Amino acid sequence: MMKKIFALSLVAAAITCGRGLYARVQTPQIQTGTRSGVIGVKIAVPEFQPLGADAKTLQLTELFNKVLWDDLDYSGVVTLVSRSFYPVGKFSGPENIKPDDWTAPAIDAQFIAFGNARLDGGRITVEARLWDLKRPDNREAIGKRYGSTDTEEGARLIAHQFADAIVELIGGGIKGVSLTKLAYISDRSGAKELYVMDYDGSESHALTNERSIVLTPAWSPDGEKIAFTSFKLNQANIEILSRIDRKPYNFDRQGGTTTTPVWSPDGSMIAYATSRDGSDTEIYVADWNGKNPKRLTVSKSVDISPFWNPRTGREIAFVSDRSGTAQIYIMDAEGTNVRRIIMDGGTAVNPAWSPDGQRIAFAWQKSRTSYFDIYVHDLATGRNDQMTQSAGDNERPTWSPDGRHLAFESTRNGSSQIYSMLADGTKVRQLTQSGKNQGPAWSGYLGQ
Amino acid sequence: MTTFRFKNVRLLFLVLSALFAFSCKHPTPPPPPAPAPIAAPVPPPAPTITLRANPATVERGQPVTLTWEARNAANVQIDPGVGAVMATGNRMLNPTSSVTYTAKATGPGGEATDTARVTVNIPPPPAPAPPAPPKPPDVNISELFRRDVKDILFDYDKSDIRPSEVSKLQANAAFLKEHANLRFTIDGNTDERGSQEYNLGLGDRRANAVKEFLVMQGVNGNRVNTVSYGEERPACHEPTEDCYQRNRRAGFTPNP
Repeated sequence: MMKKIFALSLVAAAITCGRGLYARVQTPQIQTGTRSGVIGVKIAVPEFQPLGADAKTLQLTELFNKVLWDDLDYSGVVTLVSRSFYPVGKFSGPENIKPDDWTAPAIDAQFIAFGNARLDGGRITVEARLWDLKRPDNREAIGKRYGSTDTEEGARLIAHQFADAIVELIGGGIKGVSLTKLAYISDRSGAKELYVMDYDGSESHALTNERSIVLTPAWSPDGEKIAFTSFKLNQANIEILSRIDRKPYNFDRQGGTTTTPVWSPDGSMIAYATSRDGSDTEIYVADWNGKNPKRLTVSKSVDISPFWNPRTGREIAFVSDRSGTAQIYIMDAEGTNVRRIIMDGGTAVNPAWSPDGQRIAFAWQKSRTSYFDIYVHDLATGRNDQMTQSAGDNERPTWSPDGRHLAFESTRNGSSQIYSMLADGTKVRQLTQSGKNQGPAWSGYLGQ
Repeated sequence: MTTFRFKNVRLLFLVLSALFAFSCKHPTPPPPPAPAPIAAPVPPPAPTITLRANPATVERGQPVTLTWEARNAANVQIDPGVGAVMATGNRMLNPTSSVTYTAKATGPGGEATDTARVTVNIPPPPAPAPPAPPKPPDVNISELFRRDVKDILFDYDKSDIRPSEVSKLQANAAFLKEHANLRFTIDGNTDERGSQEYNLGLGDRRANAVKEFLVMQGVNGNRVNTVSYGEERPACHEPTEDCYQRNRRAGFTPNP
């Protein structure tokens, strides 16, 4: 009961101050990343203690600790206090925690997450707590036992669950994304195939084995299906697969080059580009099985890469070179009221609408000799914020469902790889290593 | 002896008398008188015609000149193959085999004909043609296709057929019209610059621009498939303008 009230009060605080509770925390601030502006609530996370000395318990506990740390570190919601400042000791249960040690100036944490892990009967069980160190009257914000199979996957899963609970509590009630996934294209098998991995790059596996070319994955809003471009029939067509059991769903063959599918926010329709009716690609919408196609654009130009406003479903962004170079436009979902949004020249592609409908991330090549960089366009103000700083091409941004993260592909380290970052350009991490990896698509919240 | 002689004189007399009498037994009657001549008009002169063929012997395919001249004729007909003609004239003919021309002149005074023979030498039949070479297998058409049908190159971020590529594309059109049963695919490609999705659209435009050009040149559009690979099927991988140019292309493949 008291926990609930505490959580609700946090949510209320977050709502009243906009982007999250962390914005009004009055403590010495530590900036993270390369840019100013991200100041998280300070949290200490001493290592969870293995209850058992066998190798597997040690190994899975260590993995749990690493995943929990990384989830919180990249969450964009909290600032982790370095372990080098922590008191000496093992912090397995409430009896080991002396709050004053953790609120001393060197650490100055507001929260501490701690607990222990044990293996028994093929299961891993983690006893996890989150304490609010500055609320002596109501310390325990979370106290929960998480269980799973005693595998690496199981240890990752419960670390993600605990991290998401912390992020949701501290981050203004917005769910964390530790349990979301990324679809992407990799040529690591020799052909470009569709893969899915956890949001942190782990647990990657192939969904297709077409041995042809697969491109441009797009998640259904419920996270069950992925639409993508396939050259299996020697021409670009749209295919749909179940993420769960790889069952194929029909999407009627449209003819011509048919590509860049994207789902409507309610999951009932797909917008896409096709040259079925003429000499260049146009934007169409159809039922998600490809029936009842309706043409939205009429332009003697390339029209491609549609993206529905996920908040309203009332508008579609797309790319067109009707002005001579590729630029980003928005139209109403019926094809009317077309207007260009990026006016400053160069080439602007890959529009990706933020979950709240207020921003559009895109890739911008400001001159023919410059690299592509990721920018975020604010629709209300028209401002374009630069998120990456060249060093190779940075393309194809995709938003996490909480709107706090962007994944993208970059050639900054040579071959094309997938990276994620906070939506202000900080906390960049490389998610793929093997082969050439492209076209990330961040899932919505999956139904775990 | 003397007596005998007397007797013989008498016999001679008798023979001679008999002889004489016999010869004068049927005397010839006198001829009837000739009829009196009629005072009728002078009869019309009979027609005449001459027909000559020059030369009288030709090789097949060479011409022959018929020359004719008729007199006293109302109609002149030459057969075969010439028909009614004026009284005099000539006509150049190309008989394909030996033939005898007959000219017939008719008029009040009668009818006259003349003939002219033309011998046509038919050349010996050509030596039997060598057996037709066996129909080249399809793989040879594919090789010809690969040899003769050239990639069309494009400017950066453009899909219009640039002037330097027109003659190449016209030559492609000629080959494709010559092999009118061949169905084929045009693949549109881009260099690696620009967005992958946009490049799919750009490659699609390039393939369709080439198809439209071929259709204007008379190639049946139903024979043509188009496909865009965007930047997915580069011919080379170096980040140089030379390599970029090779990748900004529309290629051709015969359908299997």
